[in-house]
Amino acid sequence: MSRPFYIKQTKSGKAFDAFNLVFMVIILIVVVYPFINVLAISFNDGYDAVRGGIYLWPRVFSLENYKFVLEDSSLLRGFFVSVLRTVIGTVTAVLGNALLGYIVSCRQFAGRKFMRILFLITMYFGGGLIPVYLLMTRLGLVNTLTVYWLPSIFSAYYMLLCASYIQNLPEALFEAARVDGASELRIFSQFVIPLSVPMLACIAIYVGVGHWNSWFDVNLYSKNGTWDNLQIILYRILNQTNAISKMTDSVMIAEKMRGIQPLTVRAAITIIVVTPILMIYPFFQKYFVSGMTLGAVKQ
Amino acid sequence: MVEGIKKKAGHCWKMFQKQRQLWLLCIPIIIWVVLFAYVPMYGLLIAFVDYIPGMSIFKCNFVGLKYFRDFVLSPVFLQLLRNTLAMSLLGLTFGFAAPILFALCLNELKEGWFKKTVQTTSYLPHFISWVVAGSMIFMLLSNEGIINDILMRLGLTEKAIPFLTEGKYYWVMYTLANIWKGMGWSSIIYLSAMSSMDSELMEAGAVDGMGRLGAVKHVILPTILPTIVVQWIIGIGGILNAGFEQHLVLGNTSTQAYWDVIDTYSYRYGIQLGYYSVGTAVGLMKSIIGVALVWATNWFCRKKLDTAIF
Repeated sequence: MSRPFYIKQTKSGKAFDAFNLVFMVIILIVVVYPFINVLAISFNDGYDAVRGGIYLWPRVFSLENYKFVLEDSSLLRGFFVSVLRTVIGTVTAVLGNALLGYIVSCRQFAGRKFMRILFLITMYFGGGLIPVYLLMTRLGLVNTLTVYWLPSIFSAYYMLLCASYIQNLPEALFEAARVDGASELRIFSQFVIPLSVPMLACIAIYVGVGHWNSWFDVNLYSKNGTWDNLQIILYRILNQTNAISKMTDSVMIAEKMRGIQPLTVRAAITIIVVTPILMIYPFFQKYFVSGMTLGAVKQ
Repeated sequence: MVEGIKKKAGHCWKMFQKQRQLWLLCIPIIIWVVLFAYVPMYGLLIAFVDYIPGMSIFKCNFVGLKYFRDFVLSPVFLQLLRNTLAMSLLGLTFGFAAPILFALCLNELKEGWFKKTVQTTSYLPHFISWVVAGSMIFMLLSNEGIINDILMRLGLTEKAIPFLTEGKYYWVMYTLANIWKGMGWSSIIYLSAMSSMDSELMEAGAVDGMGRLGAVKHVILPTILPTIVVQWIIGIGGILNAGFEQHLVLGNTSTQAYWDVIDTYSYRYGIQLGYYSVGTAVGLMKSIIGVALVWATNWFCRKKLDTAIF
């Protein structure tokens, strides 16, 4: 909402508007520019890029960086793990939270309050990093894919979101199905899920972006590197703690052969990692915001 | 009497029969929540014992508050506290004000594609990971990066400034990086608070000759004040959370004296070095202080500002 018509526009107001416009353009540039800079570096020749001074456009255009990334087996595997984790994690979390939301919003279910409280407590109290880490080690979940999605199937926050949505669905429909002898799982899969697609899409986006972006738990639990995702590979290149990793060795070899440099490889991986997010961004940004404001109301 | 109990029990059983399916669905969920949420809470007890992995907590040596005391008395404690407080205070001032100012400025723009574009684009950094953000920041700030390139071309500096490896730049870099990543996203909550503004108040003000600045001061700011207070209380509660992933990404050994905060210390001791009890004690102490701070700020806000979150 801008200036209402009944508030007079003054000279200083006009000056402010001009200044404000410039200010907003600057913010726009500051937000977008780092992406453009990385994009330019990723398409530049390695040796040339190390000299610096690449602003908006590659100076010596080259596709070698992407070729290198797409040929490297550990990076391809990382990409595959990232996709697998995101898909499994999102599907299980969406179904899990929807089911939990349905259970705690069934009016005639005696245990619904108990379940609600059981989860609400976890919103305020938690074990923290180290007890969780010890538990995962104890359960033998280190070096598995399970450790990425199983501990995040349910969450109190998404439970509340789902429950508040499902409560507003027509209860009579479920009751009628129950009278006709439909099982609860059937009601859930044939009525609740199709009716709550907008809300589920919102949760899917949040959870999916979270899984795609996660790296810290990979750092903790992927000890032997079997389940390294793209983010963690990028992190290790960034921190240069990868003396052991195969990745650097191959970068070193390629460096001599084709003018590949860690800098430009890093830029190429960065672009590959953000591209999926940039692609879904325009379509789902309305979900981003609706999810945020829903959460704000709940708080 | 007995008859009554029997009847009631029978009723309960009938109810249970009817809801059997739902209870069955609950069983795996209950197992899940106990395992992944309540067992770690019990695991916090290792802060009070000499924990040896694989042993039951009750068989370990009970040491009471030893690890808490050791931490507070350790030589590194003051440095950790300094870094933690310095970075969260920078966050609570600049990082806190930035989204409010941005929301106010955005609100003054005319409705249209430009406003929408600015708003939508400003959320973007929120959706990338700190690793990706760090990768971009490194490219901008490295010795060959464009920030140094611009500074040298303008003649502001002779040699490239080592932003990434010199500790004194770290706090500023951390604060700016947080603002870059979070400003647009945090502004949503203020913008949505502004949309509930009372337009009658605005009209009444206009009749009395209120200008645009007056509208901001007397109508818009009071409208979003409760939201600001709530965010402030949450912010104070998190005063000991001065970033974690950020430091693992942006920090390096040459800047450690400036980025090492309570959380990274807890992680380093608790997980990387394997002193589980020490790390847990440090983390637990931090959480308890956080809860106490939220409670105290909330009390203060209710007394003085008449708004509170609980």
